[in-house]
Amino acid sequence: MNDQKIDQMIVDMSLYQCLECGKCTASCPRRLSGKEYSPRLLAHKVISEREDEAYIENSVWECLTCGLCRERCPSGVDFNRFILEMRTMLAETKGLKGYRAHDGAIHSWMRMMTVPHLKQNRLEWLDPSIKWASSGDVAFFTGCAPYFNVFFAGIDADTLSIARDSIRLLNFLDIKPVLLPDERCCGHDLLWSGDVENFERLCRLNYASFKDAGVKEIIVSCPECFQILSEHMPCVVPGFDIRVTLLLDLLQREMQLGSMAFRPLKRKVTYQDPCRLGRMLNRYAGPRELLGLIPEMEFREMENSGRGALCCGNCGFINCDASSKQIQVQRLKEALATGADMLVTACPKCMIHLTCTIRDPLMQGKKIQMEIRDLVSVLADQIE
Amino acid sequence: MEPVRILGICCNWSPFACYNAAGMAGMNTPANFQLIRVMCIGRINQALILRAFEFGADGVILLECTDEDCRYGPGPEVGHENVHRVRRILHLLGIRQERLVERTFGAHEKERLAQTLRDFTEEMATLGPLMSKSHKRDGLKS
Repeated sequence: MNDQKIDQMIVDMSLYQCLECGKCTASCPRRLSGKEYSPRLLAHKVISEREDEAYIENSVWECLTCGLCRERCPSGVDFNRFILEMRTMLAETKGLKGYRAHDGAIHSWMRMMTVPHLKQNRLEWLDPSIKWASSGDVAFFTGCAPYFNVFFAGIDADTLSIARDSIRLLNFLDIKPVLLPDERCCGHDLLWSGDVENFERLCRLNYASFKDAGVKEIIVSCPECFQILSEHMPCVVPGFDIRVTLLLDLLQREMQLGSMAFRPLKRKVTYQDPCRLGRMLNRYAGPRELLGLIPEMEFREMENSGRGALCCGNCGFINCDASSKQIQVQRLKEALATGADMLVTACPKCMIHLTCTIRDPLMQGKKIQMEIRDLVSVLADQIE
Repeated sequence: MEPVRILGICCNWSPFACYNAAGMAGMNTPANFQLIRVMCIGRINQALILRAFEFGADGVILLECTDEDCRYGPGPEVGHENVHRVRRILHLLGIRQERLVERTFGAHEKERLAQTLRDFTEEMATLGPLMSKSHKRDGLKS
């Protein structure tokens, strides 16, 4: 391990400020599900027992990057960035080893997208009811949704419906978004698995394809894609001059203008705060306000929600295991305990991970069956 | 033009017996063909097939036992399912589905196996090298 780099990280991420209070570990979902993982101990080892490389390496890959530890830390230790930079360093020097979920298939296709002359067939799912354009000012970013639908067909996690319903909402607002045939993955999962080289390649290729289509603004519904496009891409691409808008923000603006009305939906719903949208992008009120617009819908809050929301069990398709499953079961039980009959989330990954547990044959006895829908799908179905 | 690179993933039982017998009989197999021998094609998952393409294969052929011959039970069926799914991902990536095929063999079909490999390699040579070659190998150190 590169000592100089780690010393710098310790300073940059305020690890010396750690009081060893242990709030991070006490709140870590990974730890609470029984894993030998402790953010506090990791900080300690990095500072004063760096020879325990095996422990440090293991911990860096065990982290879910959900950010609950950072939320709880009274000293402002930036754990997420620390994990990200450690992963980048470890992937460069030691490799990712066996921590990839699905044996790395997902990261594989993301890396295959780094080839410049790719002729993808990513728009075949479009049907005539969707109005879109091939060039113009405003584009919609579909991300990996077409790929996820194929790969996760076995558990019937329909993430493409999120893209479809997002465009339906945009069409309702008289926006005919550009859909790019050669758009690529945003690279979120490559970044969080430490593969910065290919992540940056994807950023540059995506920027080039936005520019080729003459796009000035890009609308994103996935919180992960939004975070990458709005916060990381400008650091990678010099002179980045495209406005990145989160679909939720756009809908909230339109809501304030009074341009949307909804049909009643007599359901009891609860909401899963995605870590990227909540703790990283600070969007807690928006989704709740939008759900509150639907008449007759009853909103129930989960025990752990908002800033203290529990992770969906996995991030970036790294290290999914029995502990992830346990977190998901706990989350679904929390959702059911509210008396809600539908779990609304705002991130395709939450949808995939939670659906995976619901469909797991080994979990059938656990009474965790519940309908999971994305926020935009709920809104698109009720709009009038 | 550089020659295409073909990867065969071969079940240890019937297809490998054919491959071995073909070699013993001095039959021609393509020079740009590499073979990975696994105990059963059911061991191969979608990720491993995708990774073959990621690492620069221009064509991948799965050599399997027939369904009823599998020593372990569902091996070839797992193979069919994986090929079906990976082909759909390859299609999204714009990679022609002909580049991933599966063929089943009984233990006595050495001529047919050698011929299949020659035909497949020839077909891939006609299609030419695949554009989508990844730059970096997986972030892994070998």
